[in-house]
Amino acid sequence: MGTLRGGAARLEQVGGRSTSGTWAHFDLQLAFYALALGVVGLLMAYTNSQGTPLAPGSVFTRGLMWFAIAMVLFTLAAAADFRWLRTFAWPLYGLNLALLILTIAIGSGVGEVSRWISIGGLQFQFSELAKILMAIVLAAYLSGRAGRLGSLTTIIGAAVLALPPFALVLIQPDLGTSLVFGAIVMGTLFLSGASLRWLLVAGAGIVAMVPMAWTFVLEDYQKRRLISFMDPAADPLDSGYQLTQSQIAVGSGGIFGKGLTNGSQTQLDYLPVQATDFVGATLAEELGFVGCVVVLILFVALLWRVLLVGWRSRDGFGVSFAGAIASMIAFQLLVNFGMVLGIMPITGIPLPFITHGGASLISLAIGLGILQSIAMRQGRAEW
Amino acid sequence: MSVPLAGDSARGWSWKRFVVFAIIIATVVLALGARLFALQIANGGYYAGLSRENRLTLQPLASARGLIFDRNGRRLVENVPTFSIKVRAADLPLSQRQAVVQRLSVLLGMPAADIIEAVDRAASNRFDLVRIAKNAPEDVARIISEEHLSLPGVEVAVEPQRRYSYAPLVSQVMGYTGAVTREDLERLGPAGYLNDDTIGKAGVEASFEEILRGEYGMEEVERDARGEVLRVSRTLREPVAGDSLELTIDVDVQADAETALRWAMEVAGLQRGVVIVMDPQTGQILAMVSLPTYDSNAFAQGITTADYQALLEAPGGPLKNYAISENFPPGSTFKLITGTGALQDGEMTDETVLRTAPYLSIGNYRYWEWNRRGFGPLDIYDGFGHSSDTFFYQVAGMLGIDRLAYWANQFGLGQRTGIDLPGEVAGIMPSNEWKQRVLNQPIYPGEVYHAGIGQGYDSFTPIQMLNAYAALANGGTLYKPQIVRRVLSADGSVIQEIEPEVIQQLPVDAQVLETMRLASRRVLTSYHTWNLVDLPIVLAGKTGTAEYGVRDAKGRLPFHSWFAAFVPRDPRKDPADPDGLEAVSRTDAELAVLAFAYDSNTTGNAATEIVKYFLQLHYDLRVDLRDRDLLVVDNLYGQ
Repeated sequence: MGTLRGGAARLEQVGGRSTSGTWAHFDLQLAFYALALGVVGLLMAYTNSQGTPLAPGSVFTRGLMWFAIAMVLFTLAAAADFRWLRTFAWPLYGLNLALLILTIAIGSGVGEVSRWISIGGLQFQFSELAKILMAIVLAAYLSGRAGRLGSLTTIIGAAVLALPPFALVLIQPDLGTSLVFGAIVMGTLFLSGASLRWLLVAGAGIVAMVPMAWTFVLEDYQKRRLISFMDPAADPLDSGYQLTQSQIAVGSGGIFGKGLTNGSQTQLDYLPVQATDFVGATLAEELGFVGCVVVLILFVALLWRVLLVGWRSRDGFGVSFAGAIASMIAFQLLVNFGMVLGIMPITGIPLPFITHGGASLISLAIGLGILQSIAMRQGRAEW
Repeated sequence: MSVPLAGDSARGWSWKRFVVFAIIIATVVLALGARLFALQIANGGYYAGLSRENRLTLQPLASARGLIFDRNGRRLVENVPTFSIKVRAADLPLSQRQAVVQRLSVLLGMPAADIIEAVDRAASNRFDLVRIAKNAPEDVARIISEEHLSLPGVEVAVEPQRRYSYAPLVSQVMGYTGAVTREDLERLGPAGYLNDDTIGKAGVEASFEEILRGEYGMEEVERDARGEVLRVSRTLREPVAGDSLELTIDVDVQADAETALRWAMEVAGLQRGVVIVMDPQTGQILAMVSLPTYDSNAFAQGITTADYQALLEAPGGPLKNYAISENFPPGSTFKLITGTGALQDGEMTDETVLRTAPYLSIGNYRYWEWNRRGFGPLDIYDGFGHSSDTFFYQVAGMLGIDRLAYWANQFGLGQRTGIDLPGEVAGIMPSNEWKQRVLNQPIYPGEVYHAGIGQGYDSFTPIQMLNAYAALANGGTLYKPQIVRRVLSADGSVIQEIEPEVIQQLPVDAQVLETMRLASRRVLTSYHTWNLVDLPIVLAGKTGTAEYGVRDAKGRLPFHSWFAAFVPRDPRKDPADPDGLEAVSRTDAELAVLAFAYDSNTTGNAATEIVKYFLQLHYDLRVDLRDRDLLVVDNLYGQ
């Protein structure tokens, strides 16, 4: 993979602006939309604190702490010159694999699962960070292959790069996050200009492997979730229960919602894991259709700004990285919110910004910070 | 399809891909928005209803069950708080069921199969709580509470439980409470009974269920997903505590009666016996003992299947109250009816003398005197006093079966007395109509003889026999035997006096009844029951030796012993009335007492020994008149 380093070197020659960039080109809209979504996440943390939002260690106070850390990391990432990332792409890749191996070795989770590592009493899910690291490595790789992007080797190369972290997440096991990896790879390749024909072939190949995955890869609980998604009545007490209660929460929210902290489904624990996986149901129950539409509009606006950064960027790294971030956010939005609404199977994928969780928020902050860095250092496009 | 990269536009990236990407995002968001619209706006009302149903539930408010006291105000039962373990099937996922049942099995020390059976038994509604164990020790209850996360659907409830202070002494009368069955629920569901409810199952607990239970209230509560009640949203109906009962039973009299019966049964090795003591002036039951018996507390605490099975199979059948729930041939105690009927019908007078003989013949059949010798000529006093069978064969022949049946019915025999206890049976008094209906045959002359001495088809409950003698003792008033005499409120004030109820005034002249009372006294003074002669108490009554079943090797039949008797007011023997004739000619008897020894086969009449010992205890006689020799079993039955 000498191309990585070669690409990095070439970009150094091409890039003309100062490494400090210009804060005049800081994308205020992107920051604002992200901040607004973060605030919605804090509202949800507040309502999910079971009446004691200000108590030490409550969902809300932890949310505030992560929010502050995320702001700092966002600013730092924006201030740093993103081009260094390409220089350090390989070490970052190594760090990524190391963290994932560490998670499997010493991590904890619910049941026989290793997803978190506890740091100072706080749980941290490194697979969230792995998505951003994956995006960086992928963007560095693709930008190094300018001119050869349409060839099959590009797709194979990207797949080879993605496979180790994908596999490490899958054996945690965390099917949801590994699917996000897949979405990031596919979306990034598509936006970066990889061969459509081969992407379709690869997509068909993945579909063809589904029966094999069902037999050899999926755990029983994962199969149950998929079955109950198709037929909630099959197991009304476990995963079907979650689906049913989630839809009751969403539907009973109505147009304007029951009001913050007034959702009976949320506050009386009928909703499963309402602070994390099913936070969308709390949102829908308490803030109603109007609140959900506002949040969806914020997501659309944010994705528009993310794509705009890519569109305006002068080299492949910006395009690919924007593609990766946009793919990740859009995919997670679809799968998580779709699950809450009963049109997607149950997976443990967080709703960006809104699901309570430090790793998810920090990873998003770093990713968007890097996008800001790209925006600041590659000037404004003409449109 | 190769997409040109550099040179496609000024920046070198395909704008088409950006557009397609944007379209995909727009599609995703629109799909989510459409689904949101469908759930929240199109079907918002439907889901709001589901959410409300989730949150609010109607919860019954149990009423405190009424207490029960004896006639002297001694508390026979109280409600004590105990821990019950309950399961709500809806909250117990099938996948965890095995593990939860195993854990409960270990904690509660009961077989897993029993737990599963209990959960499934009342599974008409998966959302209702089902009690799987009562009376759990406090430490077990605490462990289960603490492990609620790994024991989904399992709850610990504090519930009042009946504790019977005088069980098993009064268990047959009190009965017990137990879990409602499905059949109960089908009948009583509309009355507000719950799946895990308790209900009176036997005795007074069952027959006065409605009064004792009170009325359950109802409230609407908000509950969370675990079923935990967070707050009462409104009370629809307050519970009304059940009323308490005061029995006619006197536990001291009951204890004396039981002591006497238990002693005789132990000495003679008997399996079943009954003693009933009644106030003949009111029909109130002072004591009702039926042995063997059971402990009401075993049921109240939640009897195990194995223990219940053991009670069902125990010798003697301890679950049955033989005072009211089974009929037996009455033997010579029935001669009261034959004699009274013949006197009242004018078939004879108290001066009529009949010749007794070793036997009477009808065709080729011989109807033997019990001593196989006869007593010579006898009037009604001595015929009754010696219990002469050939005397009463002739009297029965004068009356005929239908007049016999008429008089038996007048005394309440062959029909339920209507005592306020569950499970009473009617017994049998044969008549022409009865035999034609049941056996499709006419009554034969010999059967009239047998009916006249309480054999053959005659079969009555001990309570019926006692009630007949009580009517004799009080001058002819047939009362409905009574177990409960007052309904009390929770604060002890009297809500209702349950007055003695007269079934009927016997259509018999006072003079005839006096004759029969004097004849009853002759039973003792003739030394027929010589073992009772030394009693310093005036006593009158009639023994019965009721044969049944199959003859032994010496041609003897097994038999039950009966003794129905009454004691006049101020019963201490008065030198002015050495034979007690004045005392029994009065109608002011203070006690009527009956003893029944099932399958006794003793040399003497076991029932007379039981009554004697009871009176000795009851009147605190300070002498021991018991005669163990009379309780020796002397035929092959029972050995």
